[in-house]
Amino acid sequence: MSDLTLTNITKSFGKVEVLRGIDLTIRSGEFVSLLGASGCGKTTLLRIVAGLEGVSTGKVEIAGADVTDLPPEKRDIAMMFQSYALLPHMSVAENVRFPLRMRRVGTREEQDAKVKAALETVQLTHLADRAPRQLSGGQQQRVALARAIVSNPKVLLLDEPLSNLDARLREEMQVELIEIHRRIGLTTLFVTHDQDEALSLSDRVVLMNAGAIEQEAPPREIYDAPATAYASSFLGAANLVPARIAGGLATLADGQTLPIASGAPDGNATLALRQENVDFLSEGGLAAKVITRVYLGSRHRYILDLAGQTISVLAPASVMLEPGSEARIGIAPDRIRILPG
Amino acid sequence: MTDRRETWLFLLPGLALLVVGFIFPIARMLVLSVQGPDGHTVDQFARFFQDTFYPSILWRTVYLSALITAICAAIGFPLAYIMARSGPRVRLWLVIMVILPLMTSVVVRTFGWMVLLSRSGLIASTLRDFGLVGRSFQLMHTETAIVLGMVQVLLPFMVLSLLGVIIRLDPRLEEAARTMGCSFLQTMRRVVLPLAAPGLLAGSILVFTLSASSFVTPALLGGPRIEVLAGSIYKNVTQTLDWNFAAAQAVILFAGIALLLIPYLRLGRRAHG
Repeated sequence: MSDLTLTNITKSFGKVEVLRGIDLTIRSGEFVSLLGASGCGKTTLLRIVAGLEGVSTGKVEIAGADVTDLPPEKRDIAMMFQSYALLPHMSVAENVRFPLRMRRVGTREEQDAKVKAALETVQLTHLADRAPRQLSGGQQQRVALARAIVSNPKVLLLDEPLSNLDARLREEMQVELIEIHRRIGLTTLFVTHDQDEALSLSDRVVLMNAGAIEQEAPPREIYDAPATAYASSFLGAANLVPARIAGGLATLADGQTLPIASGAPDGNATLALRQENVDFLSEGGLAAKVITRVYLGSRHRYILDLAGQTISVLAPASVMLEPGSEARIGIAPDRIRILPG
Repeated sequence: MTDRRETWLFLLPGLALLVVGFIFPIARMLVLSVQGPDGHTVDQFARFFQDTFYPSILWRTVYLSALITAICAAIGFPLAYIMARSGPRVRLWLVIMVILPLMTSVVVRTFGWMVLLSRSGLIASTLRDFGLVGRSFQLMHTETAIVLGMVQVLLPFMVLSLLGVIIRLDPRLEEAARTMGCSFLQTMRRVVLPLAAPGLLAGSILVFTLSASSFVTPALLGGPRIEVLAGSIYKNVTQTLDWNFAAAQAVILFAGIALLLIPYLRLGRRAHG
């Protein structure tokens, strides 16, 4: 059973084509991330699902009903905004009650109970009577979340809800979102430009590029087996190195060779190397020149020149190489992703 | 120390103008209103309230001002909302359109209304052609004429006060309200209107005080029989030369407006939190 079905959605603003034929189905209770760089159309797609934006062509179905032409208030959805959009003239509790009041859900007592439960879920019961402006960013964010889940919508839409938080709070909220989703199991569509968020939160990642879906797969699969060069470079900052494949060996531009897993067709290809999968060796392997070293606390990031390509590599903090020196690196054959072209 | 002196220096021109142009005349007016042939007296005030003539003028002034304020708010809110949510180019044209009446002289503007509203004017003759009104129908020299003329010239104050507030409201709030089950009109009522309250308040105060104290437009459009307090004061100063009575009326108008505004301002303070 699916809660959200998008069929061949296109959207143009004037002459600019923002979405070109999106097909997407989200199962009941699934947590799906729309991941992509800014301007890829992911937020537009979310707004189309919410009804805040119309489609040029295509169909939006929520819980089996065609809602393409319905205004937002007639759709069984809830949306959480990047700026939280709390109503400043209402208290926290009134904000959380607002969707219940406007949708005329239950009696006043039932609404009270639901508001209380939602505030308990986000651990904010003690702030129920505060005004939104008296709360910190993280607290406001929780209120927005409580307000989004209180009406138990068919589809929960999250528009980069974590991007205004500082790094520590963001990680806390990620854990909390996972917990809450596991507990109440709302069908969720989550927009983000942050691949870590997409990978850690979702059941399925939908990578968008230039108004189309580049790849959709569970997080592990899309990370380990990106289908396209764009997917591999967007997820996990892969290094792309052109090579010639022949007989189980990849030959780089400068003539160095490295073994690859069998099965790749001979010809020109692009090697996608994850920065964490490159090992520093004392001898053997490939020669690369150290350009820069960046200290990251728990480890080092090295920028290397490999066969004329600049690549980024993560190494333990114990690896100390000076810029200008030569490094020996190796990559396990099964860690090399070979992309056509 | 220097900062403080500079602050005073900056305040001085405005302060001087306020003292010379406002506080001094008001004080004079207060003194005049209680001045009699032999010392202080409240005779002028007693005369105002001795029969229903002057109180009815006061009442007309208040309720016409209230009506004008209400109509300006009812027209101004949707207009200001549309202006706030349209692009900068459209907004500029709308602003020009709204303040255009302020750029024409009150005499020209009023004669324009006379052409429209008189017995042989466009509105009356059209209504007569449709057989909706009798031969003697005219809008000139009615309270309707005063309200029409005043709304036209005071609308910009309301619209610009509202525009300043609505334009700073985050449109996401309205979108959020829509996703929470509000129709467009409910969004206006539950979100935009409460948040625009400070602008509505400021605009209402401007419109109300300006219409309660105006006399040219009411005098020209209302005619001699439909008098408002400011017009009556003007008449006493320039025609009957009864300055003491004029001063008493001015004090009553001043006090009346102040009395009405105090609760309003309280409301405003609460809205600002």
